[in-house]
Amino acid sequence: MTSEPIERRVSYIGDRLRGSRCIVCGREYFKTKDYCGKCGRKSFGKMEEVDFFYEKGKLEVCTLIKEPTNKFTKLGPFIYGIISFHDGKVRVPGRLTDLILRNKKIELSSFEEREVIPRFRRRHAVGHSDIIPTISLAFTFADEYYPHQEYDIVKPKKEYDTPGIVGYGVYVPKFRIKEGALERSIPFMDEDSITAAVEAGKTALVHSGVDSSLVGKVYVGSESNPYAVKPIASKVAQVLKLGEEEKPDGLQGVDAVDTEFACKAATSMFKDASSLVYYPGANTSYAMVIGTDNSQAAPRDEPGGELDLFVGYGGSAFIFGMRDVIAEIEGWYSCTSDTPDFWRRDLESYPRHGGRFTGEPAYFKHTTKACRKLMERLNLQPEDISYFVSHQPNIRFPVKVAKELGFREEQYTAGLQVAKFGNTYSGASPIGLAAILDNAKPNERIVVVSYGSGAGSDAYSLVTTSQIEEKRRRQKFTIRHQVENECIEYVDYDTYRRLKLGL
Amino acid sequence: MERQGPAIIGVGRTRFGEHYEIAPEKLVEEAWLRASESAGIERKDLEAGYFSDYFLQLTNKIGIEEGFLSELSELHIPMEKMRSFSSALLNACNAVQSGRYSFVLVGGVEKMTDRWDKIRDDLMLLEDPWSYYAGCTPEANHELMLREYLKRYKISGKSLETFNIALAQIAAKNHYHATKNEYAQFQKEVAVETVLEKRLQTSKPLGLYDFAPISDGAAALILASHEIAREYTDTPVYVAGSSSATDYITFPSREDRTGFVASTAAIESALKMADLDINQIEIAELYDQSTLLEMTSLEDLGFSKRGRAWLDISNSCRDYEGFYQIDGKKLFVNTNGGLKADGNPLGATGGAQIFEIVRQLRGEAGDRQVKADGDLRFGCALELEGFGTKAYIHVLGRD
Repeated sequence: MTSEPIERRVSYIGDRLRGSRCIVCGREYFKTKDYCGKCGRKSFGKMEEVDFFYEKGKLEVCTLIKEPTNKFTKLGPFIYGIISFHDGKVRVPGRLTDLILRNKKIELSSFEEREVIPRFRRRHAVGHSDIIPTISLAFTFADEYYPHQEYDIVKPKKEYDTPGIVGYGVYVPKFRIKEGALERSIPFMDEDSITAAVEAGKTALVHSGVDSSLVGKVYVGSESNPYAVKPIASKVAQVLKLGEEEKPDGLQGVDAVDTEFACKAATSMFKDASSLVYYPGANTSYAMVIGTDNSQAAPRDEPGGELDLFVGYGGSAFIFGMRDVIAEIEGWYSCTSDTPDFWRRDLESYPRHGGRFTGEPAYFKHTTKACRKLMERLNLQPEDISYFVSHQPNIRFPVKVAKELGFREEQYTAGLQVAKFGNTYSGASPIGLAAILDNAKPNERIVVVSYGSGAGSDAYSLVTTSQIEEKRRRQKFTIRHQVENECIEYVDYDTYRRLKLGL
Repeated sequence: MERQGPAIIGVGRTRFGEHYEIAPEKLVEEAWLRASESAGIERKDLEAGYFSDYFLQLTNKIGIEEGFLSELSELHIPMEKMRSFSSALLNACNAVQSGRYSFVLVGGVEKMTDRWDKIRDDLMLLEDPWSYYAGCTPEANHELMLREYLKRYKISGKSLETFNIALAQIAAKNHYHATKNEYAQFQKEVAVETVLEKRLQTSKPLGLYDFAPISDGAAALILASHEIAREYTDTPVYVAGSSSATDYITFPSREDRTGFVASTAAIESALKMADLDINQIEIAELYDQSTLLEMTSLEDLGFSKRGRAWLDISNSCRDYEGFYQIDGKKLFVNTNGGLKADGNPLGATGGAQIFEIVRQLRGEAGDRQVKADGDLRFGCALELEGFGTKAYIHVLGRD
């Protein structure tokens, strides 16, 4: 059993890698400290907080762990070592993650002296009813799949009349399974929808340059939260330090909430986030919306196993605000009906769905309705729209709906990412939107239509601004980077199931 | 003239190894009775008891060890429980030295094999939680220290080969010594090639034969005040110096990660207390939790120069004659087989170290009695708690 008060303290320090620096002598400590051992009494009140969450470290020495302690056995062999930050001012223990080392010949010196970046991951395995422990003492190499991105807070230059997206981030790991034309993303053992939410949010903060303390609300949409009761959003708020941090009690001055509506749990909140930042009385400069899923599917030979051919893993985060907007929200339309095309009962591990029923009266009916209504309201014709993106549970559905609505191939291909990542559920249409934003020019119109089983659709029309291009250089971890990276690792079916099931 | 502190007038121990069928208090009883017998004192002479164990709470659901010992001995004397045997001995020495007691029982026990599947997790209680959370194992820090050492002293190529063999030679040497120790857990020889092979099999810097085992066992001694020791034995062994030092629990946070500053600090103050020079120590029991630690301890204690212990070992082990030859001087190390072969029941381990030095100084070590060039007069034992987090040194001497 994990003890909760200990868990609270450990994750407070370890999730963000919080430490202290003495402003008298500059000495740094991992873990917060009120006193500098070198300066003694004159350091009282002169210790400042420092964290290593956005930093790059160096793996100094390491060893191979083949017989871990009991809670780490599921991970398989891994590399453990000492990581230094700030030219050796601070050293921390760390585990290298995202490495499948089974049956591989290991040369320790090939890992040592390389730059590493902290990743937010599950700490180790626990019982099914325990608190899920997390930590950022897991690292990946800076010269591999995940680039190091510095978090610089940028003073906003321009105020807009219309709310919109001010930054975004997508998080998909390097593991994939390839079957036929479809590539799908897979979490590593220590990942889940919580870790993807944090990593996506982190990338969005980096891209937007928004001061995290000005984010007044965070919504996390997911249908694969490992907890039935306990929000993902609280973890995101704490780790990313959203809202003003109230010291010393460690509270964040932010509203955080999880939402659920199958695959539209996140997109549904785009309008709520926009409205919130638009409403002066709310006093909320920015709101963050995250869609995250370790899309669930039963094994292939079990009932519901047909989903196992399509599911992916990943997260996306969008920050909405009125300053330095890269895409203004022009309008939206949502529709809902009680259509039971896909569901997961409480205490069940995997969802079920209604076979062919999910297409016609469910997906197509809602998406076409939402899109047509939106275009009608804004008086738009297909040719007025530069890019169209819809929810993508497979390759066929989004193409069919695009064609039905009168869009040409060049309008819908940019946002079609399912072939590379699989169905990332709450993250699916947002990842398509991110792929478009990665390349869009100023003054282009994007229509995004989500779909959530159960059932409903949200359609949004966004128009890009001139600032989209100047912010682009702040985003290294683009969709293209995640699709074309040479470090992508393909695994077989059994490994995929093992990784997906996780710790 | 060196200092003569409290005297050890009797020692006793059990064989180390797997004792599934014996309860921990029975192990203590066996060691205690042997110590009492060799000291020639009665149970009722005892005025206080200092005991040590690390994990009986976890491994055997024993919370107040003193109560078990009171019941066993049918005594109601003051008793205290420490973690390591050396810690118990150090506290007993302080008490006797202060004049409070004339006879004190010091005992240590551990029962680790009862909890075979969980003991490595239990051992992580001796590390900082952050290392544990990051995936550390009881062996990992030894291997990281080895990597640090190679880096610091730029050991590679042919030298690295010699270095790796030197560490394997330590294991082989300790197993050789254990063949003459009737109490040792592993009384069999292990070839250098076997040690190397085990490392290769797991592609790790240190292998199965580089690490001390987990063991069950107990050790005890009777400590008497200097004044009355001669009434009970003609060959009392004096605790000339006893000292301890501490270091950060977090290994990565330590300034120097190629040795233990606690060991260096402890030997310095123990030698000062004993008014001795390190060159006067001819026999040492070092805490070889891994072969690497026997090597680095030679440096930490000042027997070998920094960065050179592996060469001293390599030169001595080519044709091993029962001792290390360092700068032309003989040094007998781990003549009981060390933790590697004698066994490592944590709370009792330090007792086996003291047992060995006492027997050797008294000339009662039988087949394994060392042959010093002159009279063997001084020895020392280094015991560690955790990965160099605490270091204890006891310098023992005889008239």
